[in-house]
Amino acid sequence: MTRADYIVVIFAFIMLPYLYMKYWQAPVQGETAQILIGTDKKMEVSLDTDRQFSVEGPLGTSLIEVHEGKVRFVDSPCRGKQCVHSGWLQQTGDFAACLPNHISVAILGHDHVYDAINF
Amino acid sequence: MNPDTKQINLTFDTTREDYRIAWLTALAISIHIIESALPSPLPGVKPGLANVITIVVLLMYGWPTAAWVAMLRVTVGSLIIGTFLTPTFVLSLSGAIATIMALGIGSRLPGRGLGPIGYCLVASMAHMATQFIVAYTLFIPHDGLFKLLPVLMTASVVFGIVSGLIVNAMMSRLRVE
Repeated sequence: MTRADYIVVIFAFIMLPYLYMKYWQAPVQGETAQILIGTDKKMEVSLDTDRQFSVEGPLGTSLIEVHEGKVRFVDSPCRGKQCVHSGWLQQTGDFAACLPNHISVAILGHDHVYDAINF
Repeated sequence: MNPDTKQINLTFDTTREDYRIAWLTALAISIHIIESALPSPLPGVKPGLANVITIVVLLMYGWPTAAWVAMLRVTVGSLIIGTFLTPTFVLSLSGAIATIMALGIGSRLPGRGLGPIGYCLVASMAHMATQFIVAYTLFIPHDGLFKLLPVLMTASVVFGIVSGLIVNAMMSRLRVE
């Protein structure tokens, strides 16, 4: 191995951790939750303060909770409770919806982890 | 015979260098084709053993011969496999051009310059980085691709060092004979 060889090898082994740190960093923490009611009503909730609040949809009242930067559906007047089973939403781009009650919750932030999600 | 028609002379002179390039290219193409039949755990990752020949040629006969062998190997190899002018070929060609350029810079370094491992590592990293950039700009312009970059570069470093060791072993035997 020549001196230039060592320089190339050292460069490679410095570059790799840098790439892992740059492109595999922890997902971005969300900052606000956007709640959509029906097709027209929209509200934004900060995730800084813990609280519970209810949202009125066509079917009844959905209960949403914000706790330590996370948000979830506590209860909703729908049959399947898909929204409740979605659990806590934390990262930018996370999304839960109660379709029967026309309510959806999405986390917003500067960087989106996903462009779109398709089920 | 009509005096207007001249007989066309179809023979052309070949040099020792031409034969050498042809032989070495044939060797590289064989490895290229055998390797293309091997399954890959990850799209875009393969050992790049055909490049071992490129580096050996570079060390024994110099950069121009190595450049010929690499370019001919990619072109003829794609014709045989059936990927000529497909995205695979575009990636392969851009990788080969990057490799040749990196080796060209490497072989003009002052002092003792690079050895087999340095050449192979430079070649495989240039190859992978260029293919990634080409794939991102031409074929998959999605930011999600960058999640693959660390893995792909790790593979290129590992296989670069492995082929460097192979070149080392080959060179020590070639010098003995």
